[in-house]
Amino acid sequence: MKIDRRAARKVLTALFVALPLAAAACTMPADTGADGSKMRVGIVFDIGGKDDRSFNAAALVGVSCAATGTKPDGTPCEKPSLGVVVRDVEPGSPTSIEPAMRAFAERGYDLVIGVGFAQAPIMESVAKDYPNINFAIIDGVSELPNVASLVFREHEGSYLVGMIAARASRTGTLGFLGGMDIPLIHRFAKGYEEGARAVRPDVRIIQNYVGVTDGAWNNPGKGKELSLSQIGKGADVIFTAAGNSGLGAFDAVEQAGKGADGRATHFVIGVDSNQNMVKPGYVLTSMVKRVDNAVYDIIEDVVNRRFKGGFHVFGLSEDGVAYSLDQYNRDLIPADVLQEADAARQKIINGEIKVTDAMAK
Amino acid sequence: MTDYLNVALIFLASTIRLATPLLLAALGGLFSERAGVINIALEGLMLAGAFTAAAMTHYSGSPWIGLLAGIGAGVAVAALHAVASIRYRADQVVSGTAINILMLGVPAMLSGAFFLSSGATPQIPKENLIPLTPVVLALLLVAATWYVLYRTPFGLRLRAVGENPEAADAAGVSVTQMRYSAVLISGALAAVGGAYLSIGQSSLFTRNMTAGRGFIALAALIFGKWRPVQTMLACLLFGATEALAIRMQGVPIRGTEIPNQFVQIIPYVLTIVVLAGFIGHSRAPRALGIPYQKEK
Repeated sequence: MKIDRRAARKVLTALFVALPLAAAACTMPADTGADGSKMRVGIVFDIGGKDDRSFNAAALVGVSCAATGTKPDGTPCEKPSLGVVVRDVEPGSPTSIEPAMRAFAERGYDLVIGVGFAQAPIMESVAKDYPNINFAIIDGVSELPNVASLVFREHEGSYLVGMIAARASRTGTLGFLGGMDIPLIHRFAKGYEEGARAVRPDVRIIQNYVGVTDGAWNNPGKGKELSLSQIGKGADVIFTAAGNSGLGAFDAVEQAGKGADGRATHFVIGVDSNQNMVKPGYVLTSMVKRVDNAVYDIIEDVVNRRFKGGFHVFGLSEDGVAYSLDQYNRDLIPADVLQEADAARQKIINGEIKVTDAMAK
Repeated sequence: MTDYLNVALIFLASTIRLATPLLLAALGGLFSERAGVINIALEGLMLAGAFTAAAMTHYSGSPWIGLLAGIGAGVAVAALHAVASIRYRADQVVSGTAINILMLGVPAMLSGAFFLSSGATPQIPKENLIPLTPVVLALLLVAATWYVLYRTPFGLRLRAVGENPEAADAAGVSVTQMRYSAVLISGALAAVGGAYLSIGQSSLFTRNMTAGRGFIALAALIFGKWRPVQTMLACLLFGATEALAIRMQGVPIRGTEIPNQFVQIIPYVLTIVVLAGFIGHSRAPRALGIPYQKEK
């Protein structure tokens, strides 16, 4: 068979044109079609993807509980199913976020949820065009009346894990591994630093960021290399707020191994979801951000027809942020340290301790 | 004194770890390009290798099976590039770019089918990782590539096909066959580079985890003037700048902290500077990018 060059080129060019179109088509949410009486919720995940075992994974738990009453791994939720229909989209690139959001709004979904700060400006423009549709943005802020801004007081939770880290450190040096170098992540870093200094004023903290683009959430190789460099400089507890890249820090502390007493020599602190079970014995605790609760609550508001735009703030007092304690890390943290952290938690809620919010102007 | 030595050793180890995936991919690119086929698909080939290696290691419990499967996937995807650009004489840059885009989507789709995930594989336990083998392999492959290229009839033919395919053809060398072999070898090597990322350095595959390393490898190949030893040096240089950037982050110099954004661009600025100014004349294989059509 002989195919001339021109024809082959044409085919390839056509393919090339068709590919992005096909990709765009893939981001179009499939319609429910079936039961018109059910509330429909559309969620657009962050670039990290819904199983980053962290931030997006927490949002997925929220919608999954609202839809079925069970978590994605099949375990039952604490709260009942709300009987809503959920459709999700994972944008392959930042450019496919807006079409996905518009597609949900166009089909008259009852609620459109955007996951991640990067989607705030996009949601702002889409929500303006659909004033009768309810929107919710996680980690972002919008002043439109039909957009709920679900924000967390990450600095408060980070303060507590900073205290625990400083108490666990033998070297007096701590590491912080951020994903993308943005104000939201600085908020984790600042709270962590203040908490650590509160119990150990001379503590040294090495801060690193994986990158300055959204690729920074998906580069575990570099996350590990940065963690190894922090370990090389003496850090023995590393708090990671870096999406998938943070998993590199888990590998790094595991590689450092265990001492003669059977206790790990270096620890990592997980983020957003409870990551204690990712590498049991090496995870000191996780700074849990209850994105799942925030998502569930806003869906519940829509179902009960009491949706309100504006700020929905989740701090320590709302159990929106917390440090995790379970069978995987109970033996790693001494009781007096837990008491100290709980006392500080109470003081932050009372306002006796003010934690600096790195995002506040 | 031992302190400095220690710091230097840690830095060296970090450099080599960061250079390894680049080196493997660049050597892959070298085979393909010395035979006259542009291989901009290195990034996609690495992703194919990284995903398959992690998935198969997860299923089989053996990183060796994972590595072999990764190589197989790299060869299979490279075959697409070979068929498009050799048999159908398509534009090699277009075909390569198409593969890169394809490989952004395919692992995500497969991970959905196999792991109910959207672009990640389950984590692989530490005992099933091979953090050292690919590093050693990469260094051995530099010597092997040099030997094959300059000391074997295969290498002579490969270079001839990339420089002057008409003459090679007249001398009885099958241009098509040589180019096919070169592109397939290229896929195998780039896949090992990708596998190093997922089952060597890290312990899982995540979406687009190569993060542009395939393109840096391509730059190293050009910087190294399409020669194995020089390409290795280029990769080590890129590895060293990244290792340096990692260590410079957040470290104040004379009391002022260098902005993170600046530190992060160092490897890329260096790439542009060396490509634009410092390498002198870097001559590509003469027939690079030109599809070969046998005269009738």
